[in-house]
Amino acid sequence: MSNTVFEVDKATLKPEGVTLVKLANWSVAVYQIDGVWYATQDGCTHARASLSEGELLEGGLIACPVHGGTFHVPTGKAVDFPCERAIRTYRVTDQGAVLTIDLTQPSEAALAEA
Amino acid sequence: MTSKSTQTMPQPQGQAQTDTVQELDNLMSLEQGRMSRKVFYDQKLYELELERIFARCWLFVGHESQIPKAGDFVSAYMGQDNVLIVRQKDGGIKGFLNTCPHRGNKLSFADAGNTRQFICNYHGWSFAINGELKGMHASEAFEATGFDPAGHGLHEVAHIESYRGLIFATFDPDAPTLAEYLGDMRYYLDAVFDMDDEGTEFVGGCVKSVIRCNWKMAAENFVGDALHAGWTHDSGAKAMVGGSVIEVHKTPESSYQVNFNGHGWEFNQDVVGNCGSLGDKELVKYLWGMQPKVAERHDDFRSRLIGAISSCTIFPNTSFLPGQNTFRTWHPRGPDEIELHVWTFVNKSAPPEIKDRWRKGSMMTFSPSGVFEMDDGENWEYSTRTNTGYKTRQQELYVGLGLGTRVENTDLPGNVYQGQVNEANHRAFYQRWLDLMKAEDWDAVPQRDIPKENL
Repeated sequence: MSNTVFEVDKATLKPEGVTLVKLANWSVAVYQIDGVWYATQDGCTHARASLSEGELLEGGLIACPVHGGTFHVPTGKAVDFPCERAIRTYRVTDQGAVLTIDLTQPSEAALAEA
Repeated sequence: MTSKSTQTMPQPQGQAQTDTVQELDNLMSLEQGRMSRKVFYDQKLYELELERIFARCWLFVGHESQIPKAGDFVSAYMGQDNVLIVRQKDGGIKGFLNTCPHRGNKLSFADAGNTRQFICNYHGWSFAINGELKGMHASEAFEATGFDPAGHGLHEVAHIESYRGLIFATFDPDAPTLAEYLGDMRYYLDAVFDMDDEGTEFVGGCVKSVIRCNWKMAAENFVGDALHAGWTHDSGAKAMVGGSVIEVHKTPESSYQVNFNGHGWEFNQDVVGNCGSLGDKELVKYLWGMQPKVAERHDDFRSRLIGAISSCTIFPNTSFLPGQNTFRTWHPRGPDEIELHVWTFVNKSAPPEIKDRWRKGSMMTFSPSGVFEMDDGENWEYSTRTNTGYKTRQQELYVGLGLGTRVENTDLPGNVYQGQVNEANHRAFYQRWLDLMKAEDWDAVPQRDIPKENL
């Protein structure tokens, strides 16, 4: 089985923004919002679009760059039209200089909602 | 737009159009001051205008001040084509047909705004502000049948350029540059749109109205019709300032008409005459304060027309009035109707209170309910509507006022005529119209006017 836990150097990530990170075969959007790090799948669940090209809005929302639909980054929930299905979230652990991202685990916030 | 070699839309050719082109020379004897009324009612001529005037000329599409930030856009018209004028991330400006290339729906319904993308209401095709297709609803279905988004972006205008904050666009890839198109008129435009380093801006929104007239009735009025003011606007002038319009025809030695490439400006040297008609002394005082600065920046001659009794049309359908500070486009809607779009322009550096006074003043005079706009609108409507009469439409019109008033020995740029009460600019406007209507393409348009100014 291939590796599903990755370390990402924070120096390669946009502070207070969203960055596309390729982890093996996965495209992951890594966010820093109000100092806290999050990771989700990069692809929109509505149509082909890269969420890391979208814009972070108030309230921890990411706006899809194609149709402007939004997702709540900490939980992955679909919020605004035309997004209906949640995006997958990933467990992020802040290790100081690096983040550990576990692609087999949802975020803690998503788990709490479930 | 697509270049000629890749154009896929059928052109309206055929016998009807050939007949229309061949008969063009019979429409005017401008040296004799005669012209046919057919140009104001004929549907075939109108179709030819859409092709040879509006799909060819540089047309005003917006002011830089309307779209300062990336993603800012305005909706505008080029003939009957609705376009979106959009500020780009690199600070440039692009123009696109406001239609989805998928099934043709209107893309944006807003007059102006800021956006990250334009999304079609019909099938969710989404376009970046640079016109590229970003994606669509049900993208999987398109991908499954081999769709390549490249080449399915918005239809872009051929060229877009600005002069002194005024943005113009053309659909014709072979059009001359905007600088060549405006030619010597730039010398005069600088008097009003370049009074200082900051230039002008539009204040307030766009006021729109419909007038049941041919678009050329409005354009010719502003290109050179100082004559009508003293008669048509007598009651309006009395209402606004308590007296008649100055009898400018009695002092032709101090007034002019100038034209170049069909653009025309009639003016005298009184500095503030147009402005005075707004009935606001603070604005007149402001212009007298600007006059010496403009004299220093440009020259004394031009400083005397910053708000003088005057009017201007940039061929074909954009006009403005110095001093009253109304700026407008006469969009054609068939041979007998226009949609009039009007803005107020001011110097960016003017105090906020002065800007607001101009906004109110221009609305009181040159809005749908303005005292001067109403006077004009009725005249233009009936000058158009009389031609529904079968015998009436066969009668010629006179356009010969001021024959022989050309000033030959002058340093002033453009073609210069003595006396603003004149129809020299009308004749130049219709000569340009005729030249364009007869020409198959830009190369065939005669270069009648040689620029004096190397601006």
